[in-house]
Amino acid sequence: MTTEPTAVIHDIGYRHYDGVQLGRGRGTLALGVQSLRGVFGLGRTVRAKIMPLLLAAIMLMPTVVSIGVMALAKQFVMPYPNYAVFMQAVIAVFLAAQSPYLVAPDLRFRVLPLYLSRPLTVTDYVLAKLTALAVAVFGLLAVPLTIEFVGELLVDLPGPPHTADYLGALGGAVLHAVLLSSVGIALASFTPRRGLGVASVIAFYMFTAAVSGIFAGVLISSGRDDVAGWALLLNPFFLVDYVQSALFGTEPVNTEMAPPGIASCLILLAVVVLAVTGVLLRYRKAAS
Amino acid sequence: MTASATPCFATEGLTKRFPRVTALDDLTVAAGTGVTGLVGANGAGKSTLIKILLGLLPPTSGRASVLGLDTATQGLEIRRVVGYMPEHDCLPPDISATEFVVHMAQMSGLPRTAARERAADTLRHVGLDEERYRPMGGYSTGMRQRVKLAQALVHDPRLVFLDEPTNGLDPQGRDDMLALIRRVGTEFGISVLVTSHLLGELERVCDHVIVIDGGRLLRSSAIREFTRAEQTIAVEVEEGQQRLAERLTAGGETVAAQGRLLTVQVSADDPGRTYDAVRDAVCDLGLSLLRLEQRRGRIEDVFKEPVA
Repeated sequence: MTTEPTAVIHDIGYRHYDGVQLGRGRGTLALGVQSLRGVFGLGRTVRAKIMPLLLAAIMLMPTVVSIGVMALAKQFVMPYPNYAVFMQAVIAVFLAAQSPYLVAPDLRFRVLPLYLSRPLTVTDYVLAKLTALAVAVFGLLAVPLTIEFVGELLVDLPGPPHTADYLGALGGAVLHAVLLSSVGIALASFTPRRGLGVASVIAFYMFTAAVSGIFAGVLISSGRDDVAGWALLLNPFFLVDYVQSALFGTEPVNTEMAPPGIASCLILLAVVVLAVTGVLLRYRKAAS
Repeated sequence: MTASATPCFATEGLTKRFPRVTALDDLTVAAGTGVTGLVGANGAGKSTLIKILLGLLPPTSGRASVLGLDTATQGLEIRRVVGYMPEHDCLPPDISATEFVVHMAQMSGLPRTAARERAADTLRHVGLDEERYRPMGGYSTGMRQRVKLAQALVHDPRLVFLDEPTNGLDPQGRDDMLALIRRVGTEFGISVLVTSHLLGELERVCDHVIVIDGGRLLRSSAIREFTRAEQTIAVEVEEGQQRLAERLTAGGETVAAQGRLLTVQVSADDPGRTYDAVRDAVCDLGLSLLRLEQRRGRIEDVFKEPVA
């Protein structure tokens, strides 16, 4: 505190804004970027950062181990295309923890009317939220894969690098991002309560994983190996694994009983369309 | 500002029916620039009208336009140049007012740096100081209403819709909010459509008042016409109310007693005479004057008048 004022604040009254007003595309982009930052806890409280950053760190652990093994034992241990299936529980927890954050507060605290009273449509809003979560999930998978690939190149194992596998896994990461984000947002947007949203997403994953596992197990033990693959499609991670195999030629985790590739692709597409339509209908209703 | 020829908003035979209820019934009304009050009881159709004007709700029949833009086809353009303060709570508790208003400015298409400047400016204008950096969960109702107003003004709209801005405020907060609305309409040069179910408070800030009831138009006219009919002054003295009344009646004034208050009809052709008479009477009788205030005809009376 100075005793002699060196500056004086003048009340210059209200000033009109005569700068640029960008289109709704930029508004949507700003919403998407803000949402994406929020998914990883950036710009939020310390408590909100713990969970996503912890999960992101866990996702990197197999990569670190894999690079270590490659460097010391000169052995390639973890194929890229199987990475997502291997880490599915962690990804599911991330999805359950973060997708309600994106949609529930706006519903619960009724912020949605403020968005819609601006040049932003329901579709823009949903698109921004879906894209933010999809980019987050993609990053969660692509960053460890890329680090491992860089590690493989640096270690320079005997034989050619697994470039095709790496690229296929990246394609699979895109598929995971699209499927998981649309399912996650669809489930989370049906309740304005965040806790309930978390529970419903994790319950969905555990239910589908358990049911597909049980069905596949029963079918295999009764000698119906040919249809066991269909049961596995219930699990979103195995579904993407099969689609990835069909589209990019990677080796699926469950090789012996793969259903036709085209069927997996159609089911994936149908689930995504269904989920996105559900979200849009939900928000059309919430908006009016 | 803009051409006064284009009305701020206009409706033509506007009707909105919901499955169970008719919210608006053949409403034809228009308002110019300045502060316009929209008065009606709860459920009169005020919020429905605002939603239609924002282009968010299609009317069952009829047309509406805002600043010359058609609500049915140009909703996006309308929402670029208007602001909206909803009636309900709409503030997430875990972020600060500054962050929230900056974010909302960006949603209106302002670049980030401009959004920051505008948010700081607007929050200062609505009277939020250091507390704007604190999470909004700890705000009082008065502060929350100010943030809601700030987010409606942050992109410098040409027109703002304020839905029940004085809801839940104490008398002091109510006065502050009304003064702020008046400033928005005059000093800021932003036209205002403000709704309320309390008629008395709108007459203090509005240039024009629209009264609707059950989705129908009861009356739409300039505030002067509402209050011109009957000008009275209220006088309250400590003792000797009776003597004062007699003295004024003897002087030819129309006096009525309302509890501890005396209301004196202001002479229509010579208003000064009445004021002088009250002053002289109080002086001559040596009374202690507690209150002397101008009373205009209340808009409430509109509801008592038979609908033409």
